[in-house]
Amino acid sequence: MVRYQEGDFAAATVLVRHISPRLHRFFLAKSMSRSDADDLLQETWLRIHKVRHTYRHGEPALPWFYAIARHIRVDHYRKSLRVAAGERELEEMSKGAAVAPPQAGELEALLAPLSESQREVIAMLKVEGMSLEEVARAMSSSVGAVKQKVHRAYKKLRDTIGAAHREIDGTEDSA
Amino acid sequence: MKNRAKNEEIDDVLKRAALAPEDTDPLVLARIDESIKAALRPVRPLPPVWLMAAGLVLVCAVVSFAGGARAGLFGVAKMNLAERWLVFPALGLLVCFAAVSFVHQMIPASRLRLSPGTLLAFSSVALLAVFADLFRDYHIDHFFSAGIVCLLVGLLHAVPAGLLSWLTLRRGFAVNPASAGLVAGMLGGLAGVGVLELHCPNFQAAHILVWHTAVVPLSAALGALLGFGLRPRTWSDER
Repeated sequence: MVRYQEGDFAAATVLVRHISPRLHRFFLAKSMSRSDADDLLQETWLRIHKVRHTYRHGEPALPWFYAIARHIRVDHYRKSLRVAAGERELEEMSKGAAVAPPQAGELEALLAPLSESQREVIAMLKVEGMSLEEVARAMSSSVGAVKQKVHRAYKKLRDTIGAAHREIDGTEDSA
Repeated sequence: MKNRAKNEEIDDVLKRAALAPEDTDPLVLARIDESIKAALRPVRPLPPVWLMAAGLVLVCAVVSFAGGARAGLFGVAKMNLAERWLVFPALGLLVCFAAVSFVHQMIPASRLRLSPGTLLAFSSVALLAVFADLFRDYHIDHFFSAGIVCLLVGLLHAVPAGLLSWLTLRRGFAVNPASAGLVAGMLGGLAGVGVLELHCPNFQAAHILVWHTAVVPLSAALGALLGFGLRPRTWSDER
């Protein structure tokens, strides 16, 4: 990272190859399409490049990358909410032409019941293998708040799994 | 036991996701490389946190003293020694806390010991405690007319102090502009309170507790609104 700050293109390329797959997966965990995740990845790197001087030597780099990716993702989310509000009006005018959602992967399907911030925490902590301290830094939050989010996310996931099991059992009984 | 089985089921899915190879489109990576290569030059990292925080404290001190001196140092002249030795060091300490917090807000992935909201609540309560302990004149004269003048004077000095603080840290990057704006506003508000303590000779408890202290949360709210409204447009907004 320091060599990247010093203008070393080889170091920048190594970083892009090493970090991009993780950031891409981070965006995909938000039930995002691949093309959206590609766009956000490029946008994130543009921002990383612009603010690379804010990385401080000796600090963990991974939370720094995720903090910026998260900022880009939040902006994208706000924009998509504005677009969705406009689209709702159009939908009301042309009801019945609903498009099927893209096939969700196993991870996306599991995380679907969670809120945005809970998904982020689970993706960073359990999928990317970051520590609680790193996740707290990336989310501009405290370790305690991150622990609480994980606890609530797991409770919600357990409830969802329990409901799914009951549904399957009920179907089998009636059959 | 049931919970444990469900947790294991959840962990299995997450582990499989973590182990799954992530194939990012090589074309996308090549485009990122190209865009970085086109604008790659050495950059100067940010100065140490203490230096940036010291700059912010200096900005607040200059605005407070300049504002107080311009309006007249009637308040500090009327204070006794104990009041001077409690009010200004307390304000200074709160300014230091807010300055460090603002610096951390402008560096992505900084370790936050106190959230901006908690710091604002702590600062407001600390000011209230100091003022309530020192000023015990419980008469109420011209509560609204005198109070609104003080509030406006405080806010009028809070705005330049907050903006100058933002300018001081312009090389930073706020991942949460509303929080950063809140802390910048709080810093400006504390400078505004400094001006009022130097200038205002009205030592009635109600006046100081309500109108002087209100400068901090109001200025912080203004900062948060500005931060949210002026958050940088991203590439996706420009498309």
